[in-house]
Amino acid sequence: MSERPETPNRQPPFVVDAVTFGFGRKETAEQSPVLKNVSLTIASGEVLGILGPNGSGKSTLLKVLMRILVPQQGRVKLFGHAHDAVSQAEISRRVAFVPQETQQAFPFTISEMVLMGRYPHHNRTWGPGWESSEDRAVAMQAMSDLGVSHLGGRLITNVSGGERQRAVIARALAQEPEILLLDEPTAFLDLHHQLEIARIIRRLNQERGLTVVLVSHDLNLASQYCDRLLLLREGEIVAMGSPEEVIAGESLERVYDCPVLVDRHPQSGQPRVTLPV
Amino acid sequence: MASVTSHSGKAHAGGASAVPAPGFLSGPEPASVAEGFRSAQAVATLSPIKWFGVSGALGALAFVTFVACLGFGTETISFANVAALLAQGPFAESEIRNAPHYIILWQVRVPRVVLAFMVGGSLAAVGASLQALLRNPLADPYVIGISSGAALGAAVAVLFGIGLSILGLSVLPFYAFLGALLSLLIVYRIAVSYGSFSIHTLLLGGVVLNAIFSALILFLTTLADPYKASGMYAWLMGSLTGPDFPTVLILAVYLLLGVAVLVSQASALNLLTLGEEAARSLGVEVERVKRVLFAAAALLTGSVVAFSGLIGFVGLIVPHAVRLVFGADHRLLLIASGIVGGIFLMLADTLARTLLSPTEIPVGVVTALVGGPIFLYLLVQQRRRIVS
Repeated sequence: MSERPETPNRQPPFVVDAVTFGFGRKETAEQSPVLKNVSLTIASGEVLGILGPNGSGKSTLLKVLMRILVPQQGRVKLFGHAHDAVSQAEISRRVAFVPQETQQAFPFTISEMVLMGRYPHHNRTWGPGWESSEDRAVAMQAMSDLGVSHLGGRLITNVSGGERQRAVIARALAQEPEILLLDEPTAFLDLHHQLEIARIIRRLNQERGLTVVLVSHDLNLASQYCDRLLLLREGEIVAMGSPEEVIAGESLERVYDCPVLVDRHPQSGQPRVTLPV
Repeated sequence: MASVTSHSGKAHAGGASAVPAPGFLSGPEPASVAEGFRSAQAVATLSPIKWFGVSGALGALAFVTFVACLGFGTETISFANVAALLAQGPFAESEIRNAPHYIILWQVRVPRVVLAFMVGGSLAAVGASLQALLRNPLADPYVIGISSGAALGAAVAVLFGIGLSILGLSVLPFYAFLGALLSLLIVYRIAVSYGSFSIHTLLLGGVVLNAIFSALILFLTTLADPYKASGMYAWLMGSLTGPDFPTVLILAVYLLLGVAVLVSQASALNLLTLGEEAARSLGVEVERVKRVLFAAAALLTGSVVAFSGLIGFVGLIVPHAVRLVFGADHRLLLIASGIVGGIFLMLADTLARTLLSPTEIPVGVVTALVGGPIFLYLLVQQRRRIVS
């Protein structure tokens, strides 16, 4: 498939080294950065949850990992390769990104949407580019994995939020990534679909060995499904560690500036957060 | 890709799943895989066969329309006669060449109908591309002010008579290109600054740009002598009058180049409809693609406006109709819109020159009268969709 060097798999999927990022022009970006001197290493096969209040830089960090945003300072390494030394398509063959919300103003079918995940694998020397039979097979497999095969001919504009989110994850799988980045994957879903998506993510991690990084507002979901949590406040890492360390610790109240009650989930025993009366 | 092995329930906190599981969760169910195959076969995603089939069929339809349009005009020429004269070719023997119908056909109508086809096709292809780029199904080079930017560029060149030709080639399209590029950059800036999904911001921005550019053009026109000014007004209305063969040929070069570039970016356009961030995450070099698309769209709009003035709404209604029939995939949408846009403008122009014959209605008037109401209808539809 794609040319994947032999050594990098021993390298961690991501090494983020002293990254500072701000929006806008250089001066304003440096004056009020969204991410300040963030460093972390993401281990192969882990599920990392990024938590923090609104505006703490969670989604920004995720987008820096995907190189949707390019930091002003510091560097990001993907399997040992500096981000700026590889093409966008090379990154997209190894990392897939599931955005918070997918809006589509045009009548694409679910199949067409999922096939878009094959774009980084296309060979486009000239012309519009056609999908190979392999592209189709991979996309079909991804659709059946996410249970959206029967929706193939439906328009993306005409399916429910849960179905659309599954289709977008199928598109991410069609990229055949090693790392899956998800931005609030359950934000706009009801309980039923939240659970469904959370379980899908866990299965992808456990059975395919996908490294998962997800941003979430849902502390309990993160506590339940993540191996490791990272807590951001105003662009800085405040705490990083197991759910036990991050959720049950002091830092949560400090970061959210709000008293919380932490007890245990009755089934899993993971820390659980509720608000006081 | 790892195969889907399933050890259902491994490390599941909740034990038995209460959620109806998708195929992936419920393990290797032959039924669901088979279903996947069935529906995927039933789903006609774009294949080269479909692409060539549709383009070929539409091309044939365009040719039939072309021949049919040649017969109409102040002087009606029968279909049999058109066919016979066409068969003579452009360089017939001198006795045939001097026949009035031959002259009308080859020197007046063929260049004009070909021009109509090319202009309509280019406007439709640009419209479809702008819609993807701006993520707005109501974008049209005329409505959002790109055409009037091009017109301003051309007007500046004409009224000040700056370097109007180099090596005998008119540089009008170049100035129009600059004007189109300028307004495209402004419009894009407007669209992204308030989030590309604000349909109304883009349209309002377009209205205001149009007003500013029109005011500037009118201002320049008052400075010019009355003779030049009246020609200017006629041209602003959008007109396909009186092209000669060399003009049509030069235009054809610009337009083919522009359309080819747009078509070559069709896959990237598909992804850009998801938004810049999503497109980038799927491997699109967004900045490079955008530069290429801006340049091609400005080249097409600029050339078209320089030769035929302001013809509106073709870029809006044609891609819309084509999308309804053939789907949203830009690999097919661009080429099909191009051909259908050509057909549409050939018909509109035929109407424009026959309806009040021998007086000619500017073709821009015809397209606006047809396209304007459709635009309003679509605007209301969009609004409903957003509300619901």
